[in-house]
Amino acid sequence: MGVINDDISRRKFLSSAFMALGLGFGLGALGLRFLQFLSPKVTVDRFEEILVGSISDIQDSDITPMEIGNVRIFLLKTDTGLMAFSRKCTDLGCLVNWDKARQEFICPCHQGVYNRNGKNIAGPPPRPLDRFQVVQKGENIYVKVRVA
Amino acid sequence: METTIEEIKEKPLKDRIIDFIQKDVPDHLDSFSYCMGATPLIFFLVAAITGVLMTFYYIPYSEKAYESVKAITSEIYLGWFIRGLHKVSINLMIFTLFLHVVRVFITRAYKTPGELKWFFGVGLFFTTLAMGFTGYSLVYDQVSYWGMTVVMNMIAEIPIIGSPLAYLLRGGSEVSEITLLRLYDLHTKLLPLLLVLLIGGHIVTITVLGFAKIEGREGTHPFYPDHAMKVGLIAIGLLILMVNIVTIFPPTIGPMADPLEVASNVAPPWYFSAVYKWITIAPRQPALFGILIFSIVFLSYPFIDRFLTERGFNMERINIVFGAVAVLAFAALTLWNAL
Repeated sequence: MGVINDDISRRKFLSSAFMALGLGFGLGALGLRFLQFLSPKVTVDRFEEILVGSISDIQDSDITPMEIGNVRIFLLKTDTGLMAFSRKCTDLGCLVNWDKARQEFICPCHQGVYNRNGKNIAGPPPRPLDRFQVVQKGENIYVKVRVA
Repeated sequence: METTIEEIKEKPLKDRIIDFIQKDVPDHLDSFSYCMGATPLIFFLVAAITGVLMTFYYIPYSEKAYESVKAITSEIYLGWFIRGLHKVSINLMIFTLFLHVVRVFITRAYKTPGELKWFFGVGLFFTTLAMGFTGYSLVYDQVSYWGMTVVMNMIAEIPIIGSPLAYLLRGGSEVSEITLLRLYDLHTKLLPLLLVLLIGGHIVTITVLGFAKIEGREGTHPFYPDHAMKVGLIAIGLLILMVNIVTIFPPTIGPMADPLEVASNVAPPWYFSAVYKWITIAPRQPALFGILIFSIVFLSYPFIDRFLTERGFNMERINIVFGAVAVLAFAALTLWNAL
């Protein structure tokens, strides 16, 4: 099979190229619309202070996991005061657990280790555990989290 | 034998079909290492049929998915058998794909004019692995949920396109019921379509470009009946093997997905455990870039081979060393993870 249509003129080439360009733009725009249809709705981040307990409830050694507004946290007393850590491992998003014997946060997925202050000390995590703002109003403790 | 288009057009349909199925194939296809490409296809057909059957019972909704898989496994008549066949065929498909890739790599069958075959093949390889991942996610047990979470975050680490792609696949910033539906759609519609197109492309290129030539084995035999009968025999043998494996090791299901607790014994399927071990032991960014670079080298290998051959490297030897190192590394990481 030889090359067919090798005698194409400049006029014909330009006209075909122009048509192809138009077709490309048209189909591209349609494809973009299809992709936009699939894109999830962008939600505006809204932060809210949520009451989690009173100061007298929290013992020095207590590390209790809790779920507030779809956010999983650990509330505990660290060396620098009351902290609310996100349980989401900063590596690839698994949930960390508190290992009482080792006094460390362990991520079971890829063996990431954080110390009591949330600092990443071993394994793949690239940064310390994320923190949420803790607000104290009188006796009550609020944690400021993102709500959907 | 030269035939012009006019001659072919004049032949009756029956003769044309006979000509087509009696096309000569080279004699080296008789040895088992050279017909490894047909075996994944056989497994794919079994997986496709059993997969379609299971869609009649599976419910892609986070609150029902696990229950429906459980029902397929333990309540529906022969459900365990269908799900077992699906699982076993996919596992064997991936295993034989590995063997096929290694054989093609060692014998350098991707050399000109075989590049296109290689590209279709690499596409098939990655699409099959994507099928494995999405399939595992649908079970919606602990492995599914945390596997989805981890893989989506890995995708998000790909430069530039990673973040939007992960967002699109998840249908948001967290794994949710939208994610399950999207992965279900990928697993049962888009990826199978892609797989069928790639298989078609792979086979058409082989038909047009011909099989790789092996020095010293130039003989040929017709595709039908010689080769077709042999492949048929292999298919029957593999079916017997699959049925046996399913009956001896019926499918099981892990604990239900729990977004609040990572189970300590969560482990990916064997074909992902080498990668899983790799990202656990190596520092995160280099590990993921390693995977990305490996994939790019893998895809463009025919060009790398040509580039190095032109500069006087003995690619036959290099490929044997590379292949052996890759297989050993894969086996070592897999075994290490199993310990």
